[in-house]
Amino acid sequence: MVKLFKWLKKYALLIVMLLLLAAPSVTSQYEFYVVQRGVQNAIHVLGLLILIGYSGMLSLGSAALLATGAYTYGILLVKVGLNPWVGAALAVALTTFIGTGLALPAFRLAGPFLVVTTVGFGEIVRILILNMEPITGGAYGLAGFAKLLPSTRWVYYLMVAALFLIAIAVKRIGESRLGLALKSLREDEVAAEVMGVDVRRAKMVSFALSAMLAGLSGVFLANLTGYLSPDSFTAAESASYLLMVVMGGMQSVTGAIVSSIVITSLPEVLRFLSSSRLLVYSLVLLVYLRLNWVRTGKGSLAGLMKTLGFPLGTGRAKDRS
Amino acid sequence: MVGSTNTAREVLNVKGLTKKFGGLVAVDDLDINVKEGQICALIGPNGSGKTTVLNLITGVYKNDRGVVDFAGQHVQNLPPHTICWKGIARTFQNIRILSSQTVFQNALLGKGYGNGGVSILQTALNTKKYREATAACTEEVDRILEFVGLLDLKNEYARNLPYGKQRILEIARALITGPKLLLLDEPAAGLNSQEIHALMELIKRISERGISILLIEHRMEIVGKLADWVFVLNHGAKIAEGTFDKVKEDPAVIQAYLGRGGR
Ligand SMILES: Nc1ncnc2c1ncn2[C@@H]1O[C@H](COP(=O)(O)OP(=O)(O)OP(=O)(O)O)[C@@H](O)[C@H]1O
Ligand SMILES: [Mg+2]
Repeated sequence: MVKLFKWLKKYALLIVMLLLLAAPSVTSQYEFYVVQRGVQNAIHVLGLLILIGYSGMLSLGSAALLATGAYTYGILLVKVGLNPWVGAALAVALTTFIGTGLALPAFRLAGPFLVVTTVGFGEIVRILILNMEPITGGAYGLAGFAKLLPSTRWVYYLMVAALFLIAIAVKRIGESRLGLALKSLREDEVAAEVMGVDVRRAKMVSFALSAMLAGLSGVFLANLTGYLSPDSFTAAESASYLLMVVMGGMQSVTGAIVSSIVITSLPEVLRFLSSSRLLVYSLVLLVYLRLNWVRTGKGSLAGLMKTLGFPLGTGRAKDRS
Repeated sequence: MVGSTNTAREVLNVKGLTKKFGGLVAVDDLDINVKEGQICALIGPNGSGKTTVLNLITGVYKNDRGVVDFAGQHVQNLPPHTICWKGIARTFQNIRILSSQTVFQNALLGKGYGNGGVSILQTALNTKKYREATAACTEEVDRILEFVGLLDLKNEYARNLPYGKQRILEIARALITGPKLLLLDEPAAGLNSQEIHALMELIKRISERGISILLIEHRMEIVGKLADWVFVLNHGAKIAEGTFDKVKEDPAVIQAYLGRGGR
């Protein structure tokens, strides 16, 4: 039993990837669409894994970066008439650039203050999209851009391949010294900087990597839906991405992928609940945290509280002796 | 040892260092000198500003006035990681290890940010260059862990270590940064007498490696046995300095300690 568990753990990523490759053949067209969205979300969530899971910087503005990637791709194709691949590359580049800028407030702010800043950023981007109608299509949305590859199925395979490579990269970064430096930000920033970790640079790298993946995910989103609307990029969306990271176990790459796909399909499974869906989300999150708490003694709840910047116990974070 | 240090070069030269917290002058116009290969001690009653001095030297706090020269360069008010790279390492009075990481990972943190000149892309691709850099690093960390006697606990989670071993781990982490000057903030606090004995041996062995040491310590028997030179702080100001035997007879020092209830 233990052996089987170990084996599963070792090959979990590979198994998930094989299942994903098989998905188009065994699902209905609608189910396939949900899986596609799940994979696309997973790319985004792996970025958040670096930012939130590794580095402990809580962002609730990630949907805005997703929007930046998606809209830049759409606008470059529709309004400028670029080739889809060039458009995609520029979209990812621009999103990375803007996302890296978000690290600036994180130099001085942490915990709830950083959360509020990122929420603010998310709203600004959404409102800009709504109001710059000539470019973005405003509330009517933006449509009419080409896909990277002619068939949806090939876009899907491209996405799965990208997800696989990204998953391995994120995992390796997590195990490397760079990953350790990022994790030290989360645990004890003062100790980290005194041990020679360039805290600002580490924060910038963390924001840059996560923004890059958000941008890429945005490009794929545009490819999947063929239509973009500001409604897909609300703060509530950002919250559900956070949920995906947390449910995936904060630092587990495979966990993040599985939880992204499961949570993406949740609204479809829970469709009958309609507007009380968010309530169910919160309940699921609470139950999960509670269970994890019982299992590990403190585990994720403590981790999340710390991420949110609530001092646990004595508030050691501010103590510098 | 004491005699030879007169001719030795200065490693750390602090002049006129001042730090205020609101109305409280935590460090007041302080001059300190540490020479190459010396073990110096910084003593003083509780709240006299010892830890603040370390925070100022390592850049955790910005000072209000004064100069900190390290190996002939101004280092005051540089970012902490830059000061670390220049060769000043420290430990903390309240242990600050990463409790959810292993002993090895904690020590590895002393290597600072990044993968030793290997890019993120190389890391992600697991290239030969990255693997070689990692292997070299692992070897170096293992050697230091062996030096402090923690190698057999390498894969243990840091939170599972007994308190005394956590303190040693912090010293190991500091050594891995490759310091010329090591600042120790009450390394013996909370240790039993056996552990204190081992700690003192370790500090001597570190000193033999040519690393200068500035030690904050409350226990006079440790200061007496280890320190070549002692600085005494009271209310942030230096009230005496000299060899331990001289300083302990100093009326101002006796007064400072007696005034707080006779330590
Ligand atoms: N961040 C801070 N903000 C305000 N006051 C501070 C701060 N850090 C230290 N102090 C004050 O500065 C004074 C010196 O503190 P410090 O920690 O340097 O003393 P210490 O000599 O290390 O004492 P101990 O022996 O108890 O460790 C104390 O009065 C302390 O309350
Ligand atoms: Mg102190």
